[in-house]
Amino acid sequence: MTQFRIGIDVGGTFTDLVAIDRTGTTVFAKSPSTPDDQSLGVLTGLEELARRLGLDLREMLSRTERIVHGTTVATNALLERKGAKVALLTTEGHRDVLEMREGLKDDRYDLRSAPPEPLVPRSLRIGVRERLRADGSVAVPLDEASLAEAVARVRASGATSVAVCYLHAYRNPAHEIATVERLARDLPDLYVTRSSDVLPQIKEYERVSTTVVNAYVGPAVQRYLTNLERRLREAGLSGSLFIILSHGGMAPVEEAGRLAAATVLSGPAGGVAGARRCAAMLGLPDLIPFDVGGTSTDISLIVDGQAALSGARGLAGERIALRSLDIASVAAGGGSLASFEDERFQVGPRSAGAVPGPACYGQGGTQAAVTDANLLLGYLDAEAFLGGRKRLDRAAAEAAADGLAPRLGLSREETALGIHRLINLKMADGIRLMTLRRGVDPRRFALLSFGGAAGLHAVEVARELEIPRVIVPTVASVLSAWGMLASDLRYEVSRTHVGESAAVDDDGLRAIFSDLEARATARLREWFDGPLRVERSAEMRYGEQVFEVDVPLDDLAWDAPALVARVHEQFHARHEALFTYASRDQEVVFVNARVAVVGAVAAPPVQAASASPSPASPGAQRRAYFDGWRDAPVYGIESLEPGMTITGPAIFEAETTTVIAGEGDVVTVDRHGWLDVRLRRERAADR
Amino acid sequence: MPRPVDPITRSVVEHRLSSIVTEMGEAMLRTSYSQILNSSRDFSIGITDTQGRLVAQADHIPVHVGALPWATRAVEDRFRDVVPGDVFLMNDPYHGGSHLPDLTAFVPVFDGDERLFWTVVRAHQSDIGGSTYGAYNPDARDIWTEGLRVPPIRLTEAGRLREDLIDLLALNTRNGHDFRGDLAAMVGAATLGERRMTKLFAEFGGPVVLQAVEGLFDAAEQRARAIVATWADGVYEGEAFLDDDGHGREDIRIHARVTKRGSDVEVDLSASDPQSTSFVNSSHANMQSACAMAFAYLLDADVPKNAGAFRPLTVKAREGTIVWAEPGRPVTMCTSHPSDEIVEAIVKALSGACPARAMAGWGRRFRIALQGEDPRTGRGFIWHMFHARPGGGASSGGDGWSTAGEWHTVGGLKFGSVEFAEVRFPLHFRRHEFLPDSGGEGQFRGGLGAALDLVVETATPAVANTAGDGIRYGACGMQGGRDAAPHAYRLLSEGREPRRLKTKETGIPVRPGDVFEIRSGGGGGWGPPEARDPVARERDLAEELVSGKGDR
Repeated sequence: MTQFRIGIDVGGTFTDLVAIDRTGTTVFAKSPSTPDDQSLGVLTGLEELARRLGLDLREMLSRTERIVHGTTVATNALLERKGAKVALLTTEGHRDVLEMREGLKDDRYDLRSAPPEPLVPRSLRIGVRERLRADGSVAVPLDEASLAEAVARVRASGATSVAVCYLHAYRNPAHEIATVERLARDLPDLYVTRSSDVLPQIKEYERVSTTVVNAYVGPAVQRYLTNLERRLREAGLSGSLFIILSHGGMAPVEEAGRLAAATVLSGPAGGVAGARRCAAMLGLPDLIPFDVGGTSTDISLIVDGQAALSGARGLAGERIALRSLDIASVAAGGGSLASFEDERFQVGPRSAGAVPGPACYGQGGTQAAVTDANLLLGYLDAEAFLGGRKRLDRAAAEAAADGLAPRLGLSREETALGIHRLINLKMADGIRLMTLRRGVDPRRFALLSFGGAAGLHAVEVARELEIPRVIVPTVASVLSAWGMLASDLRYEVSRTHVGESAAVDDDGLRAIFSDLEARATARLREWFDGPLRVERSAEMRYGEQVFEVDVPLDDLAWDAPALVARVHEQFHARHEALFTYASRDQEVVFVNARVAVVGAVAAPPVQAASASPSPASPGAQRRAYFDGWRDAPVYGIESLEPGMTITGPAIFEAETTTVIAGEGDVVTVDRHGWLDVRLRRERAADR
Repeated sequence: MPRPVDPITRSVVEHRLSSIVTEMGEAMLRTSYSQILNSSRDFSIGITDTQGRLVAQADHIPVHVGALPWATRAVEDRFRDVVPGDVFLMNDPYHGGSHLPDLTAFVPVFDGDERLFWTVVRAHQSDIGGSTYGAYNPDARDIWTEGLRVPPIRLTEAGRLREDLIDLLALNTRNGHDFRGDLAAMVGAATLGERRMTKLFAEFGGPVVLQAVEGLFDAAEQRARAIVATWADGVYEGEAFLDDDGHGREDIRIHARVTKRGSDVEVDLSASDPQSTSFVNSSHANMQSACAMAFAYLLDADVPKNAGAFRPLTVKAREGTIVWAEPGRPVTMCTSHPSDEIVEAIVKALSGACPARAMAGWGRRFRIALQGEDPRTGRGFIWHMFHARPGGGASSGGDGWSTAGEWHTVGGLKFGSVEFAEVRFPLHFRRHEFLPDSGGEGQFRGGLGAALDLVVETATPAVANTAGDGIRYGACGMQGGRDAAPHAYRLLSEGREPRRLKTKETGIPVRPGDVFEIRSGGGGGWGPPEARDPVARERDLAEELVSGKGDR
């Protein structure tokens, strides 16, 4: 009997669902998201998916071996400030670490804004008498009376969640564990989380902030996931339910509830997983995933087939120092609004949002948005938007552009073109930051275009950056949900060593890693009995530096002699590769040991398409702007067959996406039916 | 004249310029050796034109912003025979520099034969020679004691690097190895910027870029003027005081007479007190920069910081005063003091013209450097205190930011992890928290300073130096808001009377187990305290931000 895997991606507007069976047959469904209780939209979507499979919901679920889910519950709780009431128990004398933010303030020239409210107000940041030294020894024992008083204050405050974070607890968790036990005994209904569990690493601001975020989003994530799992079980699911975490791996519901702060990028992580899967299918190891939505563009990086991870990032101004996929978000999308104020022409960051939307949506918007410009330039078809389900109002878009054009001293078309160019530049800036600031040259990458609006801009953005190639998969509009099905299980542990005064020897190093590996393996085995893979890395720096470099240690012979020296050499080499130099005469400091155990899941099969190199014929012609007004051919993506080649200018349309290829760009339909755009060679000073 | 460049081309060029300075900054951050650069980011990046006008800058250290034009002009004045592949270097405060630690590299940008711009990298060196490590020397009585003076020099001649000059410079600093690495990073970042600019010319043509830049200046000027025009015309005065100069002079006055007419602002600092014998003097470029910084703070945050935005501002001052010392005087303290007091005097003066824009005072800098031996390793250490940051000033927008720093950094400087400091230094942070009651009262309360109790866990005596100001004058209140509490630092040593630390001391003996009891000042309050929302007042009490005891 057919078995399914189902990927579910809950976005701001739509919940995307993908089912793949064992033959690789792929079925999509979309349902409106239900922000108040995301599980409703998920259930509706599953019903739609079952309908498209010709099954009822129970039948489909009973034949589903795995559901993989990307959720935005934590993301929204943080962005909308709707998380739990949190109390923080911390070392006496240090209760303001969270609000001090190491003295940093983002916008240096904005001296007339009040500081942001911390997630935990000062009155709920409660000092407990205890203190550890930097080597983990006890300077002040945990004072029971002080703890009892703190617990009483938590009880009186009505907090529903507690974060416990003591100084140097990454070296010795005993005081935190005793505190958690006391809380569990006295206040059993509360969500309790401790820093030595969430992020056992040195640097108190990162640790306390991450632990507090975990406490803040934990109850909501736990509640939602528990409910969802119960509903799915009741509806007949017998297979497993996994949640995508910010690092792109997946974990069961219980683990996602424990480490809820690790789900804040659960949504976009699916897109990155999809991109990684594309890289594997295409045999293209270096890709820049480029996801354009209505208000923002998400950019990440696939290098050598792997997604880049980052150790420290934030969301909504809160620091979350868990490893997560390195995803940059730029405020540029189809809804970005053009303006000319104080002699300055700008597109974005203000967006028309879903309401009223761009002027051409005919919902009352009067200011020109990027989508309006794309309509006026002929890139979008007013009649065929969203597969014809939404008709765009050309007159409204014209009126919006006309509101701007005279003030710019330009024609309507020049204005539209200017909007299009400027938003492309902003998107290109985002890619520059993602690549150049990491020392990566974008010109050796291909751009992977997905999300509804990416195809309208991808080729021009690539041209701007001299990226030679753009790939548009057929699953572009539901890539996240599709990508989740190719995610692996992943469990990470880390430990701070700080080997400066106490230099570690070969055996000491082996012991640290084998201990971490044993712990991580034991944990993952609880969820998974397939093959496991271990990834080791260490964060190191030169003596006087403050930021570490994460050095992969997978290729080392662990049992051979001179292990420490070889680990140092890996660091020097990595430093040189990243920053152009190494200082081999300098002391190397070993800060964090990291182990990730990965349960590799077999990728879903791909349905092969048969090649039929018949010439492509456009379904229509449309007047559109390609270095001047042209009658450009319009192709239906679904009608194209592998092996076909089309030279631009050309417009490609599918139900939920449009792709623009410029003059001289060569578009090939690959064996998966995806568009593979090779950009024309640019002559210098061509403009 | 060609037809003016359209607004869209202008925006495209603006974006390109901004990505060029951003990329230069990233390169600098990632390739520099010293902690002060790669963590504290005490460097700045700019593009200037051949008239020394600031075209674009990356937001790093506000007090650097207005100083780069003066440095550029000094290079322009000295060298008439600039060719492609040249690189220039300078730091001297009496040749367009701010203070000696701020070394600045310049790379000329050519469009064909025509030289159009400079890419500029300024970086605070961790050491620049002189009689104390790191250049802050309260005992200095002249500039030569403070470190190595570098007038504009040609470091690279048409692509040929003068290794001999680098040897000379590196030999005169205490950490030649790091110095070389940092210098290479500076030159590398400036060269990277030059390459990107050349590419920009290839795309648009130099004349179009020049036109676009003129357009950007004009647009920024219009924005600045539109804001200034809303302020009330008049002649306004403001003053601020340095506690002392460390050489026996107290209450050194910085006076600003500000004339606002139409959309123009003239700042006249001529009535400021005479120069000092110590390092609290300002260089000319730094004084100009402090004035530009004050002006920028009073505009909107998103007004581009280019030469156009500063066109409405004229600065007058007199050589021989504390804000503009005569050649030869020491000036190392100037990027914080008297910069902060210059800003404060100007903002105070203009509070009469634009009361809602004038924010209350931010805290002052009071640094400690501790030198000793770590008993765990037997090795020497030098620790610079960046913890216990003072509070930010309140404003019409709300309460001040607690522990966010001083006027000249405004939240741009990171103090780093206490855990890390305890691992790396024989120090125990017994307490590091907000200091209740330290923010100035007002309708909006000043941000809080910090309380730090720091135990020195050496086995042998150590020695401390201080440099800074603000133990007598707290950050100023504005529009009826109260001044904040000033700094109060003490050294507690068993069997001795507590020693109240002064802001300009060298050679303070510190015994094992001694405790630095540091109470940093808060930010000033804004608006009359009586106007404070009772809910906010209650919240301050409940949050223990104010104690409710005493008159404060």
